Amino acid sequence: MNPLVAISIGLHEIAAHKFRTCLSMLGIVLGVSSLIATMALTRGIEEGTRIFMQQMGGLELVSIVNKEPSSRKYEFANLSPGRTLRDAEAIRRSASFISHVSPEISLNTAVATEGGGNPDRRVVRGVYPDHFVIGMHTVAAGRFLTPLDIERGSRCTVVGDTVAKKLWPGVPPQLIVGKTILIDSRPFEVVGVLALYEMEEQARARRAGKRSTRGWDPFRQKNEAVLVPFTTMFHELRSGAFPLDSLDTMKLETLTVRVADLDHFHSALDQVQGILDITHRGVDDFDLDTRQDWFDRMESSVRAARLSGGLISAISLVVGGIGIMNIMLASISERVREIGIRLAVGARQRDIFWQILIESVLVSLLGGLLGILASLGLIEILKTISPTENVPVLTPDAILLAVGFAIAAGLLSGLYPAAKASGIDPITALRYE
Amino acid sequence: MSLIHLEGLSKVYRVGDQEIRALDEVNLRIEEGEFIAIIGSSGSGKSTLMHLLGCLDTPTAGRMEICGKDLAKASNDELASVRNREIGFVFQAFNLLPKLDVVSNIALPLIYAGVPSRERLARARKVAADVGLGDRLANRPPQLSGGQCQRVAIARALVNNPRILFGDEPTGNLDSATGKMILEMFDTLHASGKTIVLVTHDPAIAARSRRVIEIRDGRITREYAP
Repeated sequence: MNPLVAISIGLHEIAAHKFRTCLSMLGIVLGVSSLIATMALTRGIEEGTRIFMQQMGGLELVSIVNKEPSSRKYEFANLSPGRTLRDAEAIRRSASFISHVSPEISLNTAVATEGGGNPDRRVVRGVYPDHFVIGMHTVAAGRFLTPLDIERGSRCTVVGDTVAKKLWPGVPPQLIVGKTILIDSRPFEVVGVLALYEMEEQARARRAGKRSTRGWDPFRQKNEAVLVPFTTMFHELRSGAFPLDSLDTMKLETLTVRVADLDHFHSALDQVQGILDITHRGVDDFDLDTRQDWFDRMESSVRAARLSGGLISAISLVVGGIGIMNIMLASISERVREIGIRLAVGARQRDIFWQILIESVLVSLLGGLLGILASLGLIEILKTISPTENVPVLTPDAILLAVGFAIAAGLLSGLYPAAKASGIDPITALRYE
Repeated sequence: MSLIHLEGLSKVYRVGDQEIRALDEVNLRIEEGEFIAIIGSSGSGKSTLMHLLGCLDTPTAGRMEICGKDLAKASNDELASVRNREIGFVFQAFNLLPKLDVVSNIALPLIYAGVPSRERLARARKVAADVGLGDRLANRPPQLSGGQCQRVAIARALVNNPRILFGDEPTGNLDSATGKMILEMFDTLHASGKTIVLVTHDPAIAARSRRVIEIRDGRITREYAP
């Protein structure tokens, strides 16, 4: 029998029992829509994570973070000087697998134009030139901080796009370079303006002349940067607050290194660990936090979300499949006579088998299509209630997967009724009332 | 070479420990173009014989050749193919599909013969016109009278141009006037060269045939020309 004929017979059968078919499709509709919604949701979380990771830098970055020393070493924990510029210096000199080292201190203080215009409180950060690479910066105009700036402790600064726009609204970055700003009432020369960092979506919205509606901006911190040389920060701004510190003993706020080559990632970690063991005098008051660790943590939470959503969808699909099987069984016991007649005029058992199977797949496919429609609505609802950085993303492979599962559910649940129908004895079936 | 050749044909049903011999060593030859009636009371085995001849069932023992094919041990698919191409059925209860219109009912065997859709409809329309239903094509069986239903069934039996036409009490559900009309159609078909096998319990109907076979307790007890 031509499959098209079987499809047409199936469609007629479905059309003849619309309400019953709708009921039997319900499980499939729920399963498919929840599967697509789950995939979109976890995809959105992944996307949010990816953007976040992008903003935080690549896998090459390793943060050296403070840690409570283990109890065994607690008694001589005060022997360790903590994270200082000496750590940075030692890593820079001795760790051959590390390409960049960025120690950082900061100060929350007032920033204004010369003469005190447009004042604002900002986090001013004292950094080394390596921060340009580690922070993944681009300059729109001027230059970044140089080793000479560090050596001389010069009063120069590089500002982010948001800061520049706030201080000098409407002035292009090229004209801002060379101007003077007041940081904590001390004049600093602006030597560079950073590019505007934004996501593709925001860039599109800006080009189209619309305001981006998203409240969360992963690049906000970078765009609001006010960067000065580390030494300048220490001597000019911080020494008043911490008079007992020297440049070498002052505790760093962050210390980030960049691994030169990911192939030697673990060797690089070993090197850093070894060097810091010495500078910290054997006290384990630090930890190496890799982006891989972050990534794994986020990945595993996404996986957990996907698994639980997938499980719910799977249960719905199984229930939906059972629903279809139920209806198909009811349908064939109602159609015993019809099957008998078809057999009498020359239908082979496999014609009956395919007819029932195709009908079952048609029901599930129809349920799948309705499920896709339902999922579109569901995703719209999720968009309004989910955190902005994790907006659900609908992908074609999610739809394909869901439809695939729907068809599989239809096939599996149609097998038994189809086998049962094709095993009907024509003589009994013709006598059946 | 006979069209139908039965030799020592038996059919045994097992119900629990009991054996029921519905057919017991039946021998029968039917030639092409014959008009034959199988007569017997209910429970005589005539329906079983009819089901075997109609390839709806397989025998327990014996030889069964139909249209030159040995079908005693045939597979279900082979039997389906013979039912589709060589045999047309007309049942007492019409056995039409109530959801399909007249044309689709008539075209039903052609679906399983693999005939393309356009040709199916053309052939079904032609046969419908031949049985006098040219104006009822779009009706569905519940909207037709008994006589019209039986004509649809005859058209369906004829649409694939089979060599043998089986009638299983074809007038049983009809009043005598309509019944007569249907029997006249069988006469006409016989005249046009079809082999016709009528199964009935009514000697008056059997009398229209050229050869009557009487069955009792699973055996052919008498054979005569009316």
